[in-house]
Amino acid sequence: MSIALRGIGKQFGEFAAVGNIDLDVPTGALIALLGPSGCGKTTLLRIIAGLETPDEGQVLFDGRDATSWPIRDRNVGFVFQHYALFRHMSVFDNVAFGLRVKPRRERPSAADIRKKVQSLLELVQLGWAGDRFPAQLSGGQRQRVALARALAVGPDVLLLDEPFGALDSQVRHELRRWLRRLHDELHFTSIFVTHDQQEAIEVADTIVVLNRGRIEQFGVPSEVYDLPTSAFVHRFLGQVNELPVRVSGGRAFVGPIDISASTDVSATAPKSIALVRPHEIEIGAEESGWPAVVVAVRVIGPIVRLELCAEGQPAHEPLEAEISRERFQYVGYSVGQKVGLRFRRWQVYPANGAAA
Amino acid sequence: MASAELPVRKVRGQPGRVLLIASALAFLGLFLLMPLLAVFTEALAKGIAAYLKAISDPMAWAAIKLTLLVAAIAVPFNLVFGVAAAWAIAKFEFRGKSTLITLIDLPFAVSPVIAGLIFILLFGSHGWFGGYLREHHIKVVFAVPGIVLATIFVTFPFIARELIPVMQAQGKDDEETALSLGATGWQTFWRVTLPNIKWGLLYGVLLCNARAMGEFGAVSVVSGHIRGLTNTMPLHVEILYNEYNYTAAFAVASLLALLALVTLAGKSFLEWRQPELRRAGSHARDRMVREKT
Repeated sequence: MSIALRGIGKQFGEFAAVGNIDLDVPTGALIALLGPSGCGKTTLLRIIAGLETPDEGQVLFDGRDATSWPIRDRNVGFVFQHYALFRHMSVFDNVAFGLRVKPRRERPSAADIRKKVQSLLELVQLGWAGDRFPAQLSGGQRQRVALARALAVGPDVLLLDEPFGALDSQVRHELRRWLRRLHDELHFTSIFVTHDQQEAIEVADTIVVLNRGRIEQFGVPSEVYDLPTSAFVHRFLGQVNELPVRVSGGRAFVGPIDISASTDVSATAPKSIALVRPHEIEIGAEESGWPAVVVAVRVIGPIVRLELCAEGQPAHEPLEAEISRERFQYVGYSVGQKVGLRFRRWQVYPANGAAA
Repeated sequence: MASAELPVRKVRGQPGRVLLIASALAFLGLFLLMPLLAVFTEALAKGIAAYLKAISDPMAWAAIKLTLLVAAIAVPFNLVFGVAAAWAIAKFEFRGKSTLITLIDLPFAVSPVIAGLIFILLFGSHGWFGGYLREHHIKVVFAVPGIVLATIFVTFPFIARELIPVMQAQGKDDEETALSLGATGWQTFWRVTLPNIKWGLLYGVLLCNARAMGEFGAVSVVSGHIRGLTNTMPLHVEILYNEYNYTAAFAVASLLALLALVTLAGKSFLEWRQPELRRAGSHARDRMVREKT
């Protein structure tokens, strides 16, 4: 089922949670709504689910206006961050719930329910846990039960509100991959909310970045990561170094580095900033670029993060650069060493945030 | 440094702890246990025959039956409205919510005597609806309907107050999940909400029932103290006491005390029979703590 939002807006008292949202989710897509807390991503998800009514705009399911449909008629599966398992029911009864509450003429027989629930429990690798109670399961297991329960009614759309937010990182990583596989096998339309850019990039086909109730950017993960259209998105999708841009004689500079080549100098406001990701900094010999001193070296698994104090930059705001472990072992930087910096890529924004 | 101080604090804390526990126990013994024992001792002071005679007296029987009747009407009434009010307050946002919460607390804030007087003012022969009721030969005040109304008023907050925090702590996730799975509102209530609140509800019902049977002030004002007709057990105890009929007074009082003990025992028994649900309850608390952090 495809979903479309047209001019969606929602106020909570004085607070505008979301405003003027247009979004198209094609059938079978796996979309991440990404943003900081309070950006309206959960509100948007709840509007799609029918748990909130928008003040303005329309929600279209396969082109039909579903704005006023109650949640139970929308055929959506909704998964909460804290699982919301019915704690007085066994795992089996939890998963069977959606089948058992169907009107009598649609309800499968008890034997069919048993078969269906058991196969769903196998699917989420919890075939052994039917008799357990939610309190006896770990967080990751509970979330898998919640997913099985949502899938039991054969939803057209699966909506997940920070589904892995309460889990530790190992389990989170496994469940992400598992969700991705499940989605590819079952071909429903999925939308999930997250504040974790890593998660969004890893799992989703398309990322929708939200900020203050509005869509900042929409695109495939690599595009959003590589070509952010605003400083906000650039900052939110990974580490960045923020550097002041200086314009003189028709050319633009960061420190002594001439960045005019890929910068529209004439449009560069006097208080612009250049954003450079840590892996976009190239470290070479002292005379080869912007002179800097290595002030810290941290080995983080496959990468090495260097803190660099560049000439003319305040000492308490060192630049962060990342190089591969192999390169680090080959070159071997140490604290106090003098190096020269160059930028592989950068992006200039006016100080107030929009793309230059 | 902190670890070096810790044992010292512990040693110093010991006598204080003993003192606190001892004084709490002494307080409980003096103000709760001793009166309870006194009731039963006085009731049985003249032997078991006198006790049985006192409680099988027709007037005592009439009072017992009336008390049970009033509780049987007031408790289900407050059960339905308490659940409805708690549901509305805990699960929905609406205008006038804080006013509703204040109104629910009103019976706690108002003296029961005033509560009784309100009903005299409304339904008494000189009250607002007095003329209408007289014309239609309906007796409210100094009759059973008045006693029921006063009891409902006084016991209204017990169930709602017990349920509001429970339902607020549980949030709306479970209900929203049930709805998204295709359950109707009614199915959601019976299969999800009610099982989640049943211990709070049971506790509220027990408290409500205890108070409905034990209410004196409000009922005293509207009852008219007609023996065998509008005398509830607490009122009957007072009448017997004022007639210096101590044994009979304490005998009826002991029945009330017994009812209280039975309800408490029943509650403990139910909790003991359901260890699984106790565990589930502690899980819910864990979840709350985690959500707050």
